[in-house]
Amino acid sequence: MAKGLDIDHLAKLARLNLTAEEKVLYSNQLTHVLTYFETLAKADLPAVSDVAMVVTEKALRSDEPGVSLGSDAVTKIAPASHDGQISVPRVVDDES
Amino acid sequence: MAEEIYQLSATEISSRLAAGKLTSRAVVEALIARYHQLNKKIGAFTSLDEKDVLDQADASDTRRKTGKVLSPLDGIPVAIKENIAVKGQPLTCSSKMLANLVSPYDAHVVEALKSAGAIIYGRLNMDEFAMGSSTENSAIQKTFNPWDLTCIPGGSSGGSAASLASGLVPLALGSDTGGSIRQPASHCGIVGMKPTYGLVSRFGLVAFASSLDQIGPMARTVADCELLLKVLATPDARDMTCFDSTQRKQLPVAPEKSLRIGIPKGLLGKGVGAEVAAATQAAIDFYKSKGATIVEVDLPSSDLAVPTYYVVATAEASSNLARYDGVRYGHRSANAKTPIEMMTNSRSEGFGPEVKRRILLGTFVLSAGYADAYYVRALRARSKIRAEHLAALEKVDMILSPTVPTPAFKVGEKVSDPLQLYLEDIFTIPANLAGLPAVSVPCGKSGHLPVGFHLVGAPLSEHKLFAAAQLFESAHSFANQQPTL
Repeated sequence: MAKGLDIDHLAKLARLNLTAEEKVLYSNQLTHVLTYFETLAKADLPAVSDVAMVVTEKALRSDEPGVSLGSDAVTKIAPASHDGQISVPRVVDDES
Repeated sequence: MAEEIYQLSATEISSRLAAGKLTSRAVVEALIARYHQLNKKIGAFTSLDEKDVLDQADASDTRRKTGKVLSPLDGIPVAIKENIAVKGQPLTCSSKMLANLVSPYDAHVVEALKSAGAIIYGRLNMDEFAMGSSTENSAIQKTFNPWDLTCIPGGSSGGSAASLASGLVPLALGSDTGGSIRQPASHCGIVGMKPTYGLVSRFGLVAFASSLDQIGPMARTVADCELLLKVLATPDARDMTCFDSTQRKQLPVAPEKSLRIGIPKGLLGKGVGAEVAAATQAAIDFYKSKGATIVEVDLPSSDLAVPTYYVVATAEASSNLARYDGVRYGHRSANAKTPIEMMTNSRSEGFGPEVKRRILLGTFVLSAGYADAYYVRALRARSKIRAEHLAALEKVDMILSPTVPTPAFKVGEKVSDPLQLYLEDIFTIPANLAGLPAVSVPCGKSGHLPVGFHLVGAPLSEHKLFAAAQLFESAHSFANQQPTL
């Protein structure tokens, strides 16, 4: 089952840069762990999973405004902010 | 009898405070002195705001003088793991990713402790984002086992367990996703409970694997652990998996002579150390001598627990930790021109090796083409494990095992082999997968290192587990034991 472990693809999906050494290390370690997971592939399991452990009727609260942190508290912990807004690198390229 | 203030149980401190024989300030001053003496050596606390804790103690003493005591915990220090939010304090999760984060709000459990008058006392080291079993994955510092400073304290709540064992604090909060309260409790000779999933609100607990995470109490005695849980376990609408007030009825406590204890078939053969096996057998024999019926129980899917856990937990972690993108809080890379570079560089710079490993593993088991083979099968295995435990717990009051197969290992011994470290949790993981309460209780030593046994019960059987644990503790001298430091 561990076949198909493409470390470059995984790193891209996970938004992680890996060095050449890390790629080798993680590939080997993950392959080792996934080999251990093969007991799962061989096991006789129920057809469906039912792991709901708590009632779900109250999953949604009523749609009413609640207390929130407020923009001051939120921008205070942001890495960069300007005029009460969180700033990030430019998302949209120039037209030209 | 313990005489130094730092050796006192919370229950004893509470009664001395009530009797006017002690002040909260005196307790806090004694603990601050102990902190200066030992914390560098043990590495349990990552920070302690001395002025703040003394102010809290004075406020408690004032309440007491004016007859406005809030609860039995009023004036008693409770230390908090680094992944539980305390307003105005660091919330680092022992990660570089959150090194500069100061929490803008209190977790539900912290609100509950404040309402009870408890002193919110310092932050405790942990494995980064609670991923680990040795506290070696902390990006802040190492924590050492107070019983042997060359050994690990367990993890991920290693700071919590080590602080209690070394008399730095009488009560602490931990969090437990696969054994992170109970395994360090066992390694440090203290009591730790993971409550039923849903009993304690996760609001303000930084998410690792949301379907498994629970906050729980840690202490040096069973009574203290129970005292702390009582304050933590209250309804909270902000966590949709938290029981409301109608869902909290505890199962009745079994009288000791009608107690039925299950022992998993083939239990002591699974790589359990000889002295751990002997200590566990002695605990079984003790319950038998008290009139309990010992029954062998069959849990045929036990071998699936570790792989199932590491699929489910890493899948949920890879999803939960996607929020660390350098945008709203946490580390933002200085070397990024585009949003994608910002996310990727921030994550690569901020996360440590074990967190990256688990994110990659979780990403793999959820990825197209593999999710059915791994994640969906793990969910089905989880159902089976839960069903088998619930069926066994129809026949017995609780299931007893060692907490950890072997005592605390040397610092650095298992760093290069993640799988070996994952097997530390073999006895504790099923309770998380099945959402069941479980407690680790000190029951002996392996050489000079403490060993604990583990009791798992049906949902909402915390009182039952505490009563059985108390029965054992009262007849032995393992409670409130502290190493020479």
